[in-house]
Amino acid sequence: MSFQLVHPSTPAEAVRLLSGSATGDIAVLSGGTDLLLDLDNARLAPKRVLSLRKLPWRYLRWSADSLVIGSTTPLRAVENDGEVRRRLPGLWEAIRDVGSPALRSRATLGGNLGRGSPASDLIPILLALDARVRVVGPGGVRELPVDLLLQGSRRTTLGPAELIESVTLPASAPSTYLWQRVQPVNDISQVGVATAFVPQGPHWRIALGGVQPRARRMSEAEGVLPSARPSHFEVELAAQEAARRAEFVSDKRATESYRRRLVAVLVRRAIQTTLERMSKATPSRKAKR
Amino acid sequence: MSTQRVLRLSINGQPVEVPSPPERILLDLLREDLNLTGTKRGCDLGTCGCCTVLLDGRPTLSCLTLAVLAEGKAITTIEGVASATELHRVQKSFVEHGATQCGFCTPGFVLSAVALLRDHPHASRAEVVDAISGNLCRCTGYSKIIEAILAARPAGTA
Ligand SMILES: Cc1cc2nc3c(=O)[nH]c(=O)nc-3n(C[C@H](O)[C@H](O)[C@H](O)COP(=O)(O)OP(=O)(O)OC[C@H]3O[C@@H](n4cnc5c(N)ncnc54)[C@H](O)[C@@H]3O)c2cc1C
Ligand code: FES
Ligand code: FES
Repeated sequence: MSFQLVHPSTPAEAVRLLSGSATGDIAVLSGGTDLLLDLDNARLAPKRVLSLRKLPWRYLRWSADSLVIGSTTPLRAVENDGEVRRRLPGLWEAIRDVGSPALRSRATLGGNLGRGSPASDLIPILLALDARVRVVGPGGVRELPVDLLLQGSRRTTLGPAELIESVTLPASAPSTYLWQRVQPVNDISQVGVATAFVPQGPHWRIALGGVQPRARRMSEAEGVLPSARPSHFEVELAAQEAARRAEFVSDKRATESYRRRLVAVLVRRAIQTTLERMSKATPSRKAKR
Repeated sequence: MSTQRVLRLSINGQPVEVPSPPERILLDLLREDLNLTGTKRGCDLGTCGCCTVLLDGRPTLSCLTLAVLAEGKAITTIEGVASATELHRVQKSFVEHGATQCGFCTPGFVLSAVALLRDHPHASRAEVVDAISGNLCRCTGYSKIIEAILAARPAGTA
C-alpha cells in the first residue's frame, strides 16, 4: 500500500477534500481497525487517505433527554463512562464486547457504522435505541435514523463526500445486548440480539445482527409485546416470531438453523434481562412487593 | 507517489527521528526501522495482542496503527519497561511465576499488565482477565500469567 495522508481540521475542509476526489481515490480513516486491514490486503487502494483525527468529533454530550456521541470517540472512552453503563446498559454491553481493550482504544462508533457490517455488534443496539445519525456533506448537515443509513451488507446510504459526525441516543433506556460466538474475544458474533424498552411509541424494540443482508429491527416480533410487562407466553411468542422472520446464512461460523435457534433463545433472555433492569430502575415498584 | 517525511516520535522517553512514508505501520517502523524487535508480529490482524505497545500509557495494537498517528504521543515498548538496572515488578513476577514459556506473547502481556496496574494498582482477578483478554498465549494456559499479574500488585492486596 502507498498513499498520501491528509488531516483536515474542520468538517468543511474534510467535505471539500472528499468532494474534490473521485470515488475510490480517497478513503476515510477513523480508528483504522477495519480500513487498515482493507488497505493491507489491497481490497482498497486509494491514492489518498483522509484522517478524521483532527476533527472536533471526540466527545460524549449528555442532556436531559439525550446522549450525543462524536463519531471519532474511541469505543474505550464510551465504555469507561460510568453513566453509559448505568443509563444505557445495552449500549455498554455491546461496546465492551467489541474486539479487545487495545482494539477499543482505536475503534470508533463512526467507523463501525461507516463499515455497516451485517455482523456489527453495535448496529443492533443502535437500532433498538432508535439512534439518529448526524451527517455532514456538501449539502450541509442532515439527520437520519440509523435504519435509513444502512443499505445492504457493508453498504450505507452515505454520499461519497458525506461523513458521520455524531450519533444521538436517548439519555437512558433499559436495554440489553447478547451475542453468541465461538470465542468470547476477537471473534465475529454468530448472531447478536439487542432489546430496549422506550417509553414512547411501540415500547419494545428488538433488533438482530448476524442476519441477512444487514442488521434489522424485528417489528413483527415487537408487535407481540404490547405492554410494559409482557407475560412469559408473550415473550416466548416474540422470540419465536423473531427467529421465524429473520433471514440467515450458513457459513463457517454457524449453520442457518443453529442461528435461528440462537435467536429464539437470545431474544427471550434479552427481553427477560431488560425486564429485570426495568424493575431495578424503578425502586418504588420493587418496594411495594 | 507517497512521500517520505521525517517523523518525530517519542519512544521510551527518547526523541527519535525516522524518515517514513505515510503508510508506514507502527509495528514495522519499530521492528524494521528501529530494530526494536521486542514488539512481536503475531497475526498482523489485530487479534493476538503480540504487537501491543503503550500510546500515552494506553495499550494499543501497533499492527493496526499508522506510525504518523503516533506523533506527539509517548510510545512505550517492552524495551522501555525495565530500568537500566532492574526489571519492572510485573516482569519479575512473570519470571518468578513461570508465566513465560516460549516468550513470544510476553511483551504484549507485560505491557497490558503494566498499564492496568498503573491505573488500578489493586485490580481484581476479573479486571486482570479483562485487561489481557486481547492477548493470546499458546504455551502457558494463562493461569500462571494471571497469577503473576495478581502477585505484582502492591503487598496486602486481597
Ligand atoms: C481483531 C478485530 C476484532 C473486531 N471485533 C469486532 C467486534 O467484536 N464487533 C464489531 O462490531 N466489530 C469488530 N471489529 C471491527 C471494527 O473494529 C469495528 O467495526 C470498529 O468500530 C471500526 O471503527 P474504526 O474507527 O476502526 O473504523 P475505520 O477502519 O477507521 O473505518 C471503517 C469504515 O468506515 C468508514 N468511516 C470511518 N469513519 C467514518 C465517518 N465518521 N463517516 C463516514 N464513514 C466513516 C471508513 O472509510 C471505513 O470504510 C473488529 C476488528 C478487528 C480487527
Ligand atoms: S500482530 Fe497485532 S494483534 Fe497480532
Ligand atoms: S509463552 Fe509462548 S505464546 Fe505465550
